[in-house]
Amino acid sequence: MKAEVVVIGSGISGLTAAASLTKRNRQVVIVERNQKPGGALKHFVRKGIPFDVGFHYSGCLGSGGILRVLWEYLGVWSHLRVHPFPSEGNDSLILRNSEKSVQAFFSYERLEDELQQAFPNEAEGIATYLKALRDICASIPFYNLDLSLTPFLRAPLSSAKIGLAPFLTSLTKDPDLQAVLASPAFLYGVPPRQAGLAVHAMVAHAFISGAYAIDGGGQAIVDAFLATLAEAGVDILTGQEVESVLVKENQVAGVKTSEGEIYASHVIYTGHPTSLLDLVPDGIFRKAFYNRIRNLINTDSMFVVFGAVDDPGSLDDLTWVNHYAIPSGLDILDVNLKYPEESALLMTAPGRRYSDSALSDAQRGIILMRPASWDEVAPFSVDSGKARPASYKRWKAQSADRLLDQAKKLWGYSRIEPLAIGSPLTFRDKLGVPGGAVYGVQHCLNQYNPGARTRLSGLWLSGQGTLMTGIVGASLSGLVTAGEIEGLEPLWDEVRQCR
Amino acid sequence: MISDEQVRRRVTQIMAEEFELEPELLQPDATLYEDLGLDSLDAVDMVVALEKAFGMKMTDEEAVRAVRTLGDLFELVCRLKNQQAAKE
Repeated sequence: MKAEVVVIGSGISGLTAAASLTKRNRQVVIVERNQKPGGALKHFVRKGIPFDVGFHYSGCLGSGGILRVLWEYLGVWSHLRVHPFPSEGNDSLILRNSEKSVQAFFSYERLEDELQQAFPNEAEGIATYLKALRDICASIPFYNLDLSLTPFLRAPLSSAKIGLAPFLTSLTKDPDLQAVLASPAFLYGVPPRQAGLAVHAMVAHAFISGAYAIDGGGQAIVDAFLATLAEAGVDILTGQEVESVLVKENQVAGVKTSEGEIYASHVIYTGHPTSLLDLVPDGIFRKAFYNRIRNLINTDSMFVVFGAVDDPGSLDDLTWVNHYAIPSGLDILDVNLKYPEESALLMTAPGRRYSDSALSDAQRGIILMRPASWDEVAPFSVDSGKARPASYKRWKAQSADRLLDQAKKLWGYSRIEPLAIGSPLTFRDKLGVPGGAVYGVQHCLNQYNPGARTRLSGLWLSGQGTLMTGIVGASLSGLVTAGEIEGLEPLWDEVRQCR
Repeated sequence: MISDEQVRRRVTQIMAEEFELEPELLQPDATLYEDLGLDSLDAVDMVVALEKAFGMKMTDEEAVRAVRTLGDLFELVCRLKNQQAAKE
């Protein structure tokens, strides 16, 4: 089989890279080891309830928002029904230590009002924080589409060295306000003491500028891409694992999969960077690169309960509100706790936002999640595909019970029936990430994430470990990798014309 | 405290091992890009390797970008090591 470009992995970065390249008339083949394409955006169904795994809500989908502009460019936007959260929608935060409650609205003005009411003596710190987010994002091309892409990609931002923790503690001594301002860290997986202000700003700014839901959730995004890619004649080979990258005369020649060889002059690898090392013949990369990639620090994992309630009407207030419980101070992603359920928690019901009238209330499930460390499941770890020990099932059930107990205490939801449970082991095996690192490689201070380019001509990296995390970050990484092949600025110019 | 001479020896050793370079090529006047064949992608790997070996951060990108020869690199690492020692 022959193609111009082989994309390894069909998560949102692979789908985006493939769709971007077909816009430039490249012939693309996607290889996916799972039976179904879509990576973390796929849903699964239990008792007729579709559950989102990786997509709960997103920013950047309003007019001029980068994800919307990109999806318009790629032709997937018209397949999607996107709903902005109404002005009352918010991330409702309960501070676990003080039991104070703060509504983090998806609007700069409303958020500032709310924070000033909740923390009346902290107006200056609040204003400084919000201004910093806006100022940083004004210098980033994905939030300021007038800017060129190349300078941002080639030279780090001056703000990239500023730590989030020292910034927040310089603004306020109030541990509750520190926790509220640090809370978007939940959405990129870096503990605030390791986080940089610039990455925090990119994520927080996206949501404060507006949150959006999509009918059908992440699966609808996958389906929209699949429809677009099918029209463009892209083959998606599922259930095939890439075993090696073929190299001829120091140039990529294709891939060898479990089913045969595919010849191509470009290969885009979208998986976890560490796993790439095993696919490339010895002697291609230097030892320094191997050591750097092997030592990358990953995000932690999550423990997730996907459940149903016997009285779905009681979930009304969950439609446009995501309920978080967070510890005071900067401990939001602290996973090294004796009772991890007492750390941060998110309760959300993205399915309730679908406007599909064919879905009954009983088909709109509820998701509870908390940060989790690999250490919790390490005693039960067996290789992917092998039966897990009975002790693991017991641990999982007990951990789910404790999480449900917390949800009852915090929000009064008492009758959640768990239909599925995701642990770090689940995410390791389903998403193919070491340690079940749900946000992949950390985008943290003092870490140099790999870029799209590699020393091997024709081999490119993409995915949330490279550019940025989350659906926006992974999508943009797909665009950027396509841009490295096609020329960054010409592709960026075409995308920007869709705003 | 580690002496400047020890820093030079250690930098040479790291460059030889991590980039699989012949030790006799590693002279102070050797340019990283032309003589040693490194490129801009290797530069990040080099920074990561040196940071790890010396337990310090090379966060001044302009100073790193200004490095042309191995001698420049010796000088930069020695300067950063001495700054770090002064702080401690």
